[in-house]
Formats: sequence, structure tokens, C-alpha cells
Amino acid sequence: MANRILTAVTMVLLVFLLIAQFITVQRTNPPLKGDLAAPPHIKTLLRRACYDCHSNETRWPWYTYIAPVSWLILHDVERGRQELNFSEWGSYYPATRIRKLQWMGRALREENMPPWTYRIFHPGTGLTQRDSTALEQWIETEINNQPEKQ
Amino acid sequence: MKYLIAVFSLIVLVTLLCPTSARGDDTVIELRFENRRFTPQTITVPANQAVTLRITNVSKEPIEFESFKLNREKVVGPGETVVVRLPALRPGSYDFYDDFHQDVPAGSIIAK
Repeated sequence: MANRILTAVTMVLLVFLLIAQFITVQRTNPPLKGDLAAPPHIKTLLRRACYDCHSNETRWPWYTYIAPVSWLILHDVERGRQELNFSEWGSYYPATRIRKLQWMGRALREENMPPWTYRIFHPGTGLTQRDSTALEQWIETEINNQPEKQ
Repeated sequence: MKYLIAVFSLIVLVTLLCPTSARGDDTVIELRFENRRFTPQTITVPANQAVTLRITNVSKEPIEFESFKLNREKVVGPGETVVVRLPALRPGSYDFYDDFHQDVPAGSIIAK
């Protein structure tokens, strides 16, 4: 009896996975609308740890083509771009930039970003204490350089 | 088995109800998003007292109620109402805005 149930559940899962592959998602990288200008070492850190979800330059590895993982990743990228998109930095109002920078600073201090779920699949994308300090200093400088703060 | 189902149902019920219901002792403030603006734009609340915001998005686009000072961000879909609980606030002004539309005028919560 238990074997029959296990076989049935496995079959249902396999059929679900098979059908899921036919539900494709759009993995897009729209054109850049004013990419962030930052010192090279800062840009390198941001590209490494943030750009996959917070820019239009997302790298789409092989597993982003396999459902249902692809659905979850697409959701994260869409949400990430909506929250903060470095590829649209130039189109943000100065007040918006200040807010985004403030949230970035908070995320660094609270060590919320990059999320652990992302770091698992992308080894080497975590930020060291030195990286975080460099980013926090850059954020502070950027906030003070915004027209609204001058 | 029946006991397990009852416990599971209770957990689901509590999970579903908790985020949307305001606590009885909080001051509840209604905030609407309509025609690309928050109404009211300025909200005065008693200082040092917890407050519950009930935010209704009447527009046809999703918005994100956000406030850095209050450390809150919440997406509100079209036609949805969400509840945001705020702790007792010190006297002062706390701005909020729609993070998805930067042209929407910011509002403020004044605690006094």
C-alpha cells in the first residue's frame, strides 16, 4: 500500500515537473537607461553581489531555464529591479537616489543583502567586512553629493 | 488524525488572519492611494502610542508604501488593503512615499 502511494506521488511530481517545463518565462535584460557611475572597485563589488537582481544585466545560468526554479528566480529578479535598478540609476530623481542609498546602507548594516538563498547558488558573491565598509563609505559620499543634500 | 487536521486548520486560520487584522488597542488610521496620491497626505498621530495604518490602493497599479524613517515597506496590489503596524513613535515627522512611482508626492506622519 505504502509503495503504491509512493509511486503515485512520484508519478504526479514527475508529470508536474514535465508539464512545468512547457510554462516558459521571459528572461529579459532590457536596455540600460543610465547605468550607475561609481568608482571601479565599488562597481566591481556591486556587479558581483547585486547586479543579477538589481540591474538589467542579469546573468541567467542554466538552472534559470528549469521550472519551477526559473519561476522563483524570475520573481526575485522582477522584484529586485522594481526595488532598485542600477541600470536605471540615471532616471531616478535625486530624492529617490537618496532613499535607495539609505536602504542600501541599512541592508548592509543588517547584513540582509545579498540574501543567503542567492549566495548558496552563487559562491563568492558574499561581501566581506572590508567590502561592506567600502560600500558604506561610498553610500555616505553619494548621499552627500546628491543635489538635494547640497 | 482528526486532532491533527484541527491543529493544522487552526494554524492556517491564525496565519491568514494575523497580518490583516489590527490589534484592538492600536489607533487605526486609514490611508488611501488614488489618482497617484496618498490621501490624507499628512497624518497626525499621538506620540508614544502604537498606530496601525490600513492602506487601500484604489488605483489600477501596484504601489509600494515605503518609509525609511519608519523602516517599513509593503507592496499593495490594485484594489488591495494592507495593514502596517507602527510602534510607539517619538514626537517628530516621518515621511512615506510610493517607491514604485517616484513622481507621487511624499506624505508625512506627524507624531505629537
